[in-house]
Amino acid sequence: MLQPRIIACLLVHKGGLYKTVAFAKPKYVGDPLNAVRIFNEKEVDELMVLDIDATREQREPDYALIRSLAAECRMPLSYGGGVHDVDQFERIVSLGVEKVAVSAAAVNDPSLITAAAERVGRQSVVVVLDVGRGKRGPEIKTHNGQRATGLDPADFAAKVESLGAGEIVLNSIDRDGAMQGYDLPLVRAVRERVSLPLTVLGGAGSLQHIAALVREFGIIGAAAGSLFVFKGVYRAVLINYPSRDDKARLLHDALAIR
Amino acid sequence: MRPYQICTRCVMDTSDSKIDFDASGVCDHCRTFDEQIVPNWHTGEEGRRQLQALTEKIKLAGRGKDFDCIIGMSGGIDSSYLTCIAKQQLGLRPLVFHVDAGWNSQEAVNNIERLVDKLGLDLYTEVIDWPEMRDLQLAYFKAGVPHIDTPQDHAFFATMYKFAEQHGVKHILTGANYSTECIRNPIEWMYYQSDSIQLEDIHRQFGSMPLHNFPTTSILRHKIWLPYVKGIKVVRPLNYIPYHKAEAMQLLIDDFGWQPYPQKHFESRFTRFYEGFWLPRKFGFDTRRVQFSSLIVTGQMTRGEALAKLESPALDDATVRQEFEYVATKLGISTAELQGYFDAPNKTYKDYESQENFYALGARAMRLFGMELGGKR
Amino acid sequence: MITIVDYGLGNIEAIANIYRRLDIPVRRARTAAQLADAQRIVLPGVGAFDWAMSRLDQSGMRATLDELVIGQSRPVLGICVGMQMMARRSDEGRCSGLGWIDGEVRAFDESSFTQRTHLPHMGWNHINAQRSGGILAGLEQDARFYFLHSYCFEAHRDQDVLARTDYGGAFASAVQRDHVHGVQFHPEKSHQWGIQLLRNFAAV
Repeated sequence: MLQPRIIACLLVHKGGLYKTVAFAKPKYVGDPLNAVRIFNEKEVDELMVLDIDATREQREPDYALIRSLAAECRMPLSYGGGVHDVDQFERIVSLGVEKVAVSAAAVNDPSLITAAAERVGRQSVVVVLDVGRGKRGPEIKTHNGQRATGLDPADFAAKVESLGAGEIVLNSIDRDGAMQGYDLPLVRAVRERVSLPLTVLGGAGSLQHIAALVREFGIIGAAAGSLFVFKGVYRAVLINYPSRDDKARLLHDALAIR
Repeated sequence: MRPYQICTRCVMDTSDSKIDFDASGVCDHCRTFDEQIVPNWHTGEEGRRQLQALTEKIKLAGRGKDFDCIIGMSGGIDSSYLTCIAKQQLGLRPLVFHVDAGWNSQEAVNNIERLVDKLGLDLYTEVIDWPEMRDLQLAYFKAGVPHIDTPQDHAFFATMYKFAEQHGVKHILTGANYSTECIRNPIEWMYYQSDSIQLEDIHRQFGSMPLHNFPTTSILRHKIWLPYVKGIKVVRPLNYIPYHKAEAMQLLIDDFGWQPYPQKHFESRFTRFYEGFWLPRKFGFDTRRVQFSSLIVTGQMTRGEALAKLESPALDDATVRQEFEYVATKLGISTAELQGYFDAPNKTYKDYESQENFYALGARAMRLFGMELGGKR
Repeated sequence: MITIVDYGLGNIEAIANIYRRLDIPVRRARTAAQLADAQRIVLPGVGAFDWAMSRLDQSGMRATLDELVIGQSRPVLGICVGMQMMARRSDEGRCSGLGWIDGEVRAFDESSFTQRTHLPHMGWNHINAQRSGGILAGLEQDARFYFLHSYCFEAHRDQDVLARTDYGGAFASAVQRDHVHGVQFHPEKSHQWGIQLLRNFAAV
């Protein structure tokens, strides 16, 4: 049976790993390559690497870094940041990355999704929706939460699915780094409207939060940044991830209750 | 060229070029152990008494604070066991302090996590600026000296002292111990990691970026200023109790799910590469000789076992190849370039500026005043 | 010696790394000449069917590949789209496939999903081995692999199905006909299970 995915999410900023709170106050986490190595050995389900500068600085993805990370990963890797055309999709996939994520570019030109799906296949096209609080409810924001789009996440998610996206990552800006749990109402609203793989990011503070997500939604992707990178009240950097047995038990118990 | 000779009691040999043998072929490391360490090393009733007094002092100094001491934790056997007894036996409230230099192995982070979780302790991690660490490590490779692990060691101590000073913590606990370290690496193999003059000279000659964030310390700072002016003491609790490495390891495995390493110090992938390959193959210095010799004189290993282990290299060829590639990738250079540094002529610490004389003077003074036993030479 | 067909697709580096770590000689072939004396072949692939077939044609290696696999019966392992390419055709595209295994690639029949399931099939899933040994040696029980695809292989002959996986009904997650093997999942991205499978392929 297909298992829910528990995904480690790493943010790259100025070439190093950082972690944010509500997309601000970046805290240095260290060398990306060593982190990937450790996650490898911990048998992480999937790894998502997001370059949080590339789009804002309007520069190309760091292909050399992507290549070296991809070579280290013995699990699927998604990359996002600075991607805005189909050639980049193709190039990044050729470097050994399973999925390529776009955020602002999908909002600016949704036809990119269709074009990319045609080139690299739908399964490799991920659309990330950064969701913040707007005037009339949740709203999609781009450029590290700096630009409001006026788009409703559930509506846009449905549109993006029809255009050919393979996966949607729902990222809650407000919950980012807070470790207080996922934004379940937001997930419900979007999940109702789409049937493609959905991954939720932003707010996971404990394995219980992940269990709660799986209990409610079954097959879903539970992504976390802070949870797998920090420990304790001082937010001490320490890479961690549930063991094979702990993960199996967590997922089994959560799914059994459904 | 000296003829080859190996100690008849431990396994130190003439790869330590300053080694000295007596008429029975016993080396000066063993004699230092017998004459200087043993008479002053108390792990029985006397040790218990001393440890008790020390513990009380730490608790008193830490009263009203969130934690009463910090423990330098690498995830290795010594610091792991120390953390365990500090909490469970001594009843201290330590802050577990970890320095991430970018080379943590999976076992190291697992072991830190297990201990912190099970003992309910707080953790603080200082992450060293990776680009600066990488540049400094590369500089050491270019310098051709044996002690290329200095950047990690230096950063570890500098960071801990800085934190202690900033937060008014009076006691730093480390896992350093006579039981497994009574015989130390000769300076020829591992020159003093705290010598900031040497670090600065090597950086000046071979580094390519300024060290803005990299933490530095100096011998004066942490042997004189910090302990005698700021009152920050480094304490080694494992010297006051019977510390048997194998028993300690079994306890950690059974009670904490601790994952063992193939060799001492292998919690850092860099150190594994350095001690398992670079130092023995490029310079002929095998740190296992030092480690096994310590275990031999403390009765935890037989000379026969040690000799058998020394027959094969610490890392097999396949592992060496993989680690060579990984280290080159991490350092941002090609394997050819790394090979170039391997093939380049061997230098020593004497080829660069140093405070060696100061250290020699200081060490003698310390021993004279009974402040330190044994020690490097 | 494992030869990975490098026509620009698939995580060749990841496959090569795994073989290097296992101390099994591996190399990549970018041209027909480099492919010519291959003993064991890995055909990776990711992306859309037509894109993959056209890239393979453009590489100039197709004819050599056919000769080695069909003419000289060299063992071959197709991965993901590499496996799909071994069929006669695919619902996903217009190009014809290599035709090494009698079957075609179909879209998942969405009406057969009993729950609100998703496409693409994305994530870790189990395989049910139809026979033991070969590339599945040691993986007959409890093996999980990473899947990432929207289309699946429909083998015309039951005996060509090596393993089935449950997703909207059982589909062929691995196929084998004599020396021709295909896996729908990504062994290069499936941790220890994938490493075992790749190790097994080097020994068939």
